[in-house]
Amino acid sequence: MTERLKLVDAVIKYGDTPAINGVSLIARSGEMIFITGSNGSGKSTLTKGIAGLLPLSSGTLERTPKMSYVPQYEDADRDFPASAGEIVLTGTQRPGKLFTTRSDREAALSAMSALGIDGLSGKEIRTLSGGQLRRVFLARAVCGKPELLLLDEPCAGLDAHSHEVLFGVLRGLLSEGCAVVMVTHDISDIDGIPEARIIRISHGRIAGNE
Amino acid sequence: MNDILELLTYPFAYRALIAGSLISVCASILGVILVLKHYALIGHGLSEIGFASLSLSSALSVHPMYIAPPSVITASFIIMYVSRKYRTAGDTAIAIASSAALAFGIVVSSLSGTASNMSSYLFGSVLAVSEGDLLLAGVISVIVIASFIVLYNRFFLITYNEDYARTLGINTAVYQLIVSVLTSLVVVMGMKMTGTLLISGVMILPAVSAKIIAKGFRSLVIISGVISFGAFVFGLMMSFVFNIPAGAGVILSNTAVLILVKVLVKR
Repeated sequence: MTERLKLVDAVIKYGDTPAINGVSLIARSGEMIFITGSNGSGKSTLTKGIAGLLPLSSGTLERTPKMSYVPQYEDADRDFPASAGEIVLTGTQRPGKLFTTRSDREAALSAMSALGIDGLSGKEIRTLSGGQLRRVFLARAVCGKPELLLLDEPCAGLDAHSHEVLFGVLRGLLSEGCAVVMVTHDISDIDGIPEARIIRISHGRIAGNE
Repeated sequence: MNDILELLTYPFAYRALIAGSLISVCASILGVILVLKHYALIGHGLSEIGFASLSLSSALSVHPMYIAPPSVITASFIIMYVSRKYRTAGDTAIAIASSAALAFGIVVSSLSGTASNMSSYLFGSVLAVSEGDLLLAGVISVIVIASFIVLYNRFFLITYNEDYARTLGINTAVYQLIVSVLTSLVVVMGMKMTGTLLISGVMILPAVSAKIIAKGFRSLVIISGVISFGAFVFGLMMSFVFNIPAGAGVILSNTAVLILVKVLVKR
């Protein structure tokens, strides 16, 4: 299996305080890694570091450039004048690619359909519920056909049906060779995932790897 | 009406109409990004930095285009960088830079005895647009509109969520720089037409009105451009009819549109 992510001895600091301290992690194609731990243990900081939003104070990070990230909270204007379809389509953007193609639009529609939100394409994001918006961000992450998918508590705000739908989509991505790293409090989701591991984070360090 | 049409047969009037329309539309398109990214005050800050540059070029008897665009572009990039890096410091950075620049410009023009020349830049003189200005406005408009068409997806992405763009591996600083350069060019050109004191209104007001109406980013850009064009033409006509400064007429037209939209469109 191809390595999609290789993090070695990563340290991430806020000021002088390390929030992640010497974490190493490898994610291979078709593998799903559940990252769990108590609040404030450093889970979200770790995913932000992998996503490139926080610099590593030390250690190395190698990952596929075809990565998508769904943060716990989207740092964007909720009142931004954009339709759900426009937001999803941004997931197909890549460096060096300026224009969207018909296949990008088809991929965006297909991702929205897979997540059960194809009817929301023309709706303004300011009119969507929290759960609908969550699925819009998930569709955006999926439609770019990522090789590495980082999800920070993606099930927050999702009802049971949407949760099932999401895991159906994730199983499809895993079968296509994507590696998924998911921050979650609910490790029961591991059932039905063939290649899966649970990593427990405590005080910025790996406390368990199952 | 016939008087206005007859007036437009004069070269100074049609030059004002064409150059002003082009710059107004470009300013309003860029204004969409500035409003959505909460950089609304930047046009005002840059125009005052532009005023200082023009004072300096006037004192040194150098063509303004050699000094104003590089200074304004540099200032624009620094202000946007500071605003992005230290979110709460953005407005403070603009206030400091703009007041210091305005004071510098006033001192330079006063010491060099060119203060009377500078008043046209403070209040604008769209009717004094020369053939060269018209050509420059055309070139700047082509650059701004072409950039918007080619980089539309990038501008949308960095305006909506710069962090997400970075996770996709997109170099957001490059697009930030492009927006800074385009904004600076439009500000420098717009200063001559509407004046240092009013150019930020031409950038911001149409975008704010359009944001109330538009349901998506693309429609926001288009509606902003249309409002700006309409308000410019109406404001210019009013300036002909009532013999008032064109820049002020344009801003008052834009303000009237904003009030009208706010009253009529319920969201």
